[in-house]
Amino acid sequence: MLKSHPKALLYAGGTDILREKGSRFAAFPAEIIVVSRLNELRQVVLTERFIELGAAITMAEILELRENAVPELLALALRGLATPAVRNLATIGGNLACSSRFLDSWPALACLDALVEIRDAGSSRWINVSRLADENGLPALPYGCVLTRLRIPLEPWDAIALRKVGNANYPSRDGAVFALAARSEKGILTEFRLAFAGQKALRLREIEGKIVGRKLPLGKKERESFASEYREAASPLDAKLRFRFGALVDGALDLLSR
Amino acid sequence: MRVAFILNGDDVIAKVRSGDRLVDLLRESYGLLGGCADCRKGSCGKCLILLDGRTVPSCLVPAFMATGREVITIEGFAQTDEYDDIVKGFDEAGLETCGFCDAGRILAAATLLERKPRPSPEEILEELDSVKCRCADPVLIVRGILAAAEHRARRLYHRAGK
Amino acid sequence: MALRRDRAEIESSGTSLSDLEFEGMVHVATLRSPVSRGSVKEISTRKLPKEYRLILPNDIPGANRILSFGAEIPLLASASISYRGEPIGLVAGPDPVLAAEIAAEATIVCDEEDPRFSWESFSSDQVRAKRVAVMGDPDLAFSIAATVIEDTFSSGCLEHFYSEAQGALALFDYDKMAIYCATQWPYHVRESAALVLGCKSEEVVVRPTPLGVHLDGKLWYPSFLACHAVLAARACKKPAKILLTREEDFRYTPKRARSSVALRAATDPAGRLSAVDLRIALNVGAIGPLAEEILTQTCIAASGTYDCANIRVEGYAVETNTLPLGAFAGLGASHSFFALETASSRLAETLGEDPMDWKAKNILKKGSRLITGEILHEEPPYAEISERLCHASDWRRKYACYELVRKRRSGRADGPLRGIGFAFAYQGAGAPLSGETPSGYSVEVVLDMELSCTIKTSAAASCGSTRRKGAGRVESRDGLADIWRGTAADILGIEIGSVCIAPPDTDSTPDSGPAVLSRGISVINRLIERACNAIQKRRFRDPLPLSSKSIYRQPKPIRWEDGSVAGSPFGSAAWGGTIVELELDPWTFEPKPLGIWICAEGGTIASVARAESALRRAAVDALGSCLRESLDFEDGEIGVHSYFEYGILGSQGLPPLFIDLLVGKRKASPKGIGELPYDTVPAAFLSALSQATGSAFSSLPLSSERLFKAMEET
Repeated sequence: MLKSHPKALLYAGGTDILREKGSRFAAFPAEIIVVSRLNELRQVVLTERFIELGAAITMAEILELRENAVPELLALALRGLATPAVRNLATIGGNLACSSRFLDSWPALACLDALVEIRDAGSSRWINVSRLADENGLPALPYGCVLTRLRIPLEPWDAIALRKVGNANYPSRDGAVFALAARSEKGILTEFRLAFAGQKALRLREIEGKIVGRKLPLGKKERESFASEYREAASPLDAKLRFRFGALVDGALDLLSR
Repeated sequence: MRVAFILNGDDVIAKVRSGDRLVDLLRESYGLLGGCADCRKGSCGKCLILLDGRTVPSCLVPAFMATGREVITIEGFAQTDEYDDIVKGFDEAGLETCGFCDAGRILAAATLLERKPRPSPEEILEELDSVKCRCADPVLIVRGILAAAEHRARRLYHRAGK
Repeated sequence: MALRRDRAEIESSGTSLSDLEFEGMVHVATLRSPVSRGSVKEISTRKLPKEYRLILPNDIPGANRILSFGAEIPLLASASISYRGEPIGLVAGPDPVLAAEIAAEATIVCDEEDPRFSWESFSSDQVRAKRVAVMGDPDLAFSIAATVIEDTFSSGCLEHFYSEAQGALALFDYDKMAIYCATQWPYHVRESAALVLGCKSEEVVVRPTPLGVHLDGKLWYPSFLACHAVLAARACKKPAKILLTREEDFRYTPKRARSSVALRAATDPAGRLSAVDLRIALNVGAIGPLAEEILTQTCIAASGTYDCANIRVEGYAVETNTLPLGAFAGLGASHSFFALETASSRLAETLGEDPMDWKAKNILKKGSRLITGEILHEEPPYAEISERLCHASDWRRKYACYELVRKRRSGRADGPLRGIGFAFAYQGAGAPLSGETPSGYSVEVVLDMELSCTIKTSAAASCGSTRRKGAGRVESRDGLADIWRGTAADILGIEIGSVCIAPPDTDSTPDSGPAVLSRGISVINRLIERACNAIQKRRFRDPLPLSSKSIYRQPKPIRWEDGSVAGSPFGSAAWGGTIVELELDPWTFEPKPLGIWICAEGGTIASVARAESALRRAAVDALGSCLRESLDFEDGEIGVHSYFEYGILGSQGLPPLFIDLLVGKRKASPKGIGELPYDTVPAAFLSALSQATGSAFSSLPLSSERLFKAMEET
């Protein structure tokens, strides 16, 4: 369908589309393909190791899946999104595929190392959610591609955190979402993932790599050193958000110090 | 384009343009004025309807997305016993509103009670967050919906008894 | 068009403006100025389809202005543009989308002048109003003071977010021009339309539609839009409706005035407040309707609730080239209370005293002299209010504990940052406003032969919470209307069910003035009492039906002259205190309220449940102004982003709200209390935040940079 209608607008929840078009009459392109009820975009597959969600599943439907089916970090992100009525319309695929900025689900999914299936007219492939951001931290879903499924690993976490900062009304210029997931074993930090996204996205694996393997609790010097690295790496963010990011990182590292 | 859907229990076919919003279609073509076309960004909740049983802001739904679906507006819902339960509950609690946001609030309450017949105050406040209006007293909203839950439970109990 | 049937149906069904449709109706879109200051040279649109009209200043038969509280407001600007977005023309036609398109695409050529946005420092020609008053000798008091604090307190614009966007509908109804709109003052709409049409007032009838929540945002602007509708109805010879979209309403209708209060306060060695000096600047935007009233109220409240012998207040209402800024849940006292109450908590902290105790030492007493020269005749119920609040919130323990923690903390490991703040204020009611009808307002009461009573007052336009059942019938339930009905029923000795309020259209009800400053309680209710008493006196002597008209003589306006002010600012004052407790999120440092306690004294309270509910709603709104509501001007205009980013608080995540009302002890008339949270919550919030962070905050909305800077310093 994409091949024969390359300029068509794919429509599922559409909350972001119609919200941006503030006027009474929304000017749509001549061709619209409604995908919200395509079965293949609404499948849920649950295994011991992961959950797979079709891109057209709504936020509300995800939250209604049985307990423990959805990672708590993702549930936290979705529960804080808009209002229950909007969550009945907004789809997880639409939330990830926003071209102008990152929305609420990206940081949590990035921390969880979720994969997304990207399809274009000829092929399909799975990529890490983090790759939906380019090297400048900007949205990078390839043009002409459609996000069709998500696969989210189900792993136990010892610590998770999710915070929304800035203007709570969405989408705002200075708003962003912060997510953290960490795991330790026998006093050693085995996983540490931190993601932050608003207009731009940050997931700094190099720094995470340095933190993982450390003994807990982190010492004061280690904490300060990592905080400083994070702050430096946050330079792509605008000043207001850099501030906030710095404070969130402090909070995250503080968690590891206790 | 033509859009065929079920509106308050009736099969209807509407002629729409692609950019028409469902809220405007319902108000202008069907005279269903219970919902208001206000913020047009899905935040005020004054345009809430039930779409396949779920509350959605109809200002964020293009009319063409109603195809093949069931739409219930406050006018349709007002014919149900559930509506009476909720209105009774609100009246008992003394909940007074500006009148512009009632439709949304009633429908949000309805879907909550359908899903959770005995909601907690936190669940009530979460669900009713879909409607934002300066007229609303959160304490009375909670009391009203708890009272509505009571009426609903009693009605269903009596019905089951028959 | 079966108008008579429609009208009866409209009135009985309480149809709102958004839902009103008349056959053949045209929709009005507004052409807006693209510049903040200058003049219009040329306007051109695409070729208009047959049924569409372009309306420009030349098309106005009467005056191209309306009058509002001492200001002249151009209806369609031309020679002098005052703000970006100011209406300069109208397009009317059957399709609202097309009309809006035509208006948006119009070519507008202007001569542009340098706009004036600066208001905290300003030039003399920007001064719309000035007030100066001095009591005692503040300079001397400051020179010998033991403690002096000084800061500038500023508060930003707020959006009313009333229940329905602004608009109006006009149509010819036989020999009259009929106007439907939601307004706080139907007669102002009538007079404005008559002025614009160049006709007699009696040739215009206003039929108010449900008003909903207004927060004083619909005092004069509905009249402005009504005149636009009237022009379009006249031009098209059809019913004409102008209904702003919510976005348009947000960006172009009046907002709360911004304020900057430079405050100095001094105490003597015993910690008693010895001097207060305020320099107030209010940004009233363009034209400045209500500027004088707001400045007056702000300045009158200059000493707040404190007994101070030496006060100086110097206030300026400053015009800028932004949209008109004005009233928001009251007429300005909240600006002063915000400054004073935040400062007084800071003073107490500087002196090492509990703010409750410091305020108790300095509060006004019976016999205290106010800045207006008036002597206070009753003791403010501070002791009782503060004691009840202390008890309910556990203030003493929490304040001491949070002070201790703040002073001794060394880092995050010490736990979350918490603070608790307290503010105390009054709400005046019944103040006279400049530019009001000299002959006074009135209310009429009729008792008919069936012993049914009808209350006729145009103030009923502001009553009526309606349930839109969506099935045709609408019930009307409103606290204020019930108070009026109760008053009439009590005096006349009839059932409350036999008392009704007449639909407030201007042909059937007398002008009772603007519904503002709690006049519904303090003025209208008294007029109803008087009229009912007059009927009662004649009732068993004269045959029914009987009617009585009770006329309100406004008190003399306050006189400002030569650095002094004299007069009685209010008919009555309600008193109230608020405590806010909050905690900072340890990760984001965003304040999270843990509880709000409000105690108010409002005279005789007809319905405790309703009064509590009104206070809770106002508390939520006031909290929203602390946490979330802020809007920015970009190049003199509110940007589209602001519309998307602005939001009021919903029902989720609210702190517990505790309301306590003092009832029964005083045999006083009912008083308005709904503004008290706006006067007290912001200062209590900032005081709590200051305690939590150890840093002094003095402006709302909170800037995250400011908060983080405070956290870094901590």
